[in-house]
Amino acid sequence: MLMTLTPERLQSVIHDKIRAILKERSGEDRPFSGSDKLSATLGLSSLDLAFLVADLEAEFGVDPFAKLVSITSIRSVDDLERAYRTAFFPETSTTLQDDGLASATDRAKVRRARRERK
Amino acid sequence: MPRTRKVALVSGGSRGLGAALVAGFLQRSYGVATMSRATTKFIANTKGDRRNGKHFYWTALDGRDHEALRSFVGEVADRFGRIDVLVNNAGLATEGVLPTMRPHDIVDVVEVNLTAALVLSQVCSRVMLRQGSGCIINISSINAIRGHPGVAVYSATKAALDGMTRSLARELGPRNIRVNSVAPGYFESDMVKNMPEEQKQRIARRTPLGRLARIEDVANAVHFLASDQASFITGQTLVVDGGITC
Repeated sequence: MLMTLTPERLQSVIHDKIRAILKERSGEDRPFSGSDKLSATLGLSSLDLAFLVADLEAEFGVDPFAKLVSITSIRSVDDLERAYRTAFFPETSTTLQDDGLASATDRAKVRRARRERK
Repeated sequence: MPRTRKVALVSGGSRGLGAALVAGFLQRSYGVATMSRATTKFIANTKGDRRNGKHFYWTALDGRDHEALRSFVGEVADRFGRIDVLVNNAGLATEGVLPTMRPHDIVDVVEVNLTAALVLSQVCSRVMLRQGSGCIINISSINAIRGHPGVAVYSATKAALDGMTRSLARELGPRNIRVNSVAPGYFESDMVKNMPEEQKQRIARRTPLGRLARIEDVANAVHFLASDQASFITGQTLVVDGGITC
């Protein structure tokens, strides 16, 4: 499995797993795109996401959320895919960890500026 | 092994309550995996048992080694194909008042009694999520319910297990995974073997049922909670103490 894994195959597996969860919930195929939010748009719960991560770990033998990426940085289908790309194809991926860190830094700056204004 | 056989993972199953749980699950036709720091006569006998040996898996493991715990769960899932029951039984008891306790003794008790249980629950719950069913039972203690001098650290870890039980029951319930605690009172085990006879008699006198628990009393409660007869029970702590805390 690991020998033949390509970015396209990775995306296909992740989308299939999400599709299966959505079908289990609604009983029908539901189209979605990479920019769809897992929770806000698709209605996945944190337990659905845990199930998805466990299922993907069984499929790929890797859990990027153990060390590489924080699960709280995952919002969209693309975010999820990017997390696994970080694990398998680090040279081609922008890391979510850095994105998360950058946005956290920005938020901290805004909070600091607010405090200073008071 | 047929994949239909249910599988129980019992931490610290080499002696005492853990050994009774292992034996009880094997008797109920489960595949059973356990780990402990060292082997015992019970482990050797069970491995060599003609009927049950092939359904039993033991490995030497220190509960403070979290990566080894994670690998162990993976080995068990690969070997048996599933994990239906996790019993967080492994525990260290250390006595002494907190102000004079050695810091590394505090860390050891927390690591084995609490952190190892969290790690095992995390990894096993992933297997159970994929199965769509499972059961986690934490071995707590009446020390989580009543204060006793000299066991502050032990009590803290056991009360934390009860808290984990309730939260995890809510987290995992929607996927048909039940989580409960069993809180034994004083029972005949290695943990009370050094207790003076006079003190044991005093405990028996204060217990409505007039005796200390037998290991089977506690093991039976665990086996009940693991069974389908308890299929609508989750997030509870079942106190098995002969009534001493009532």
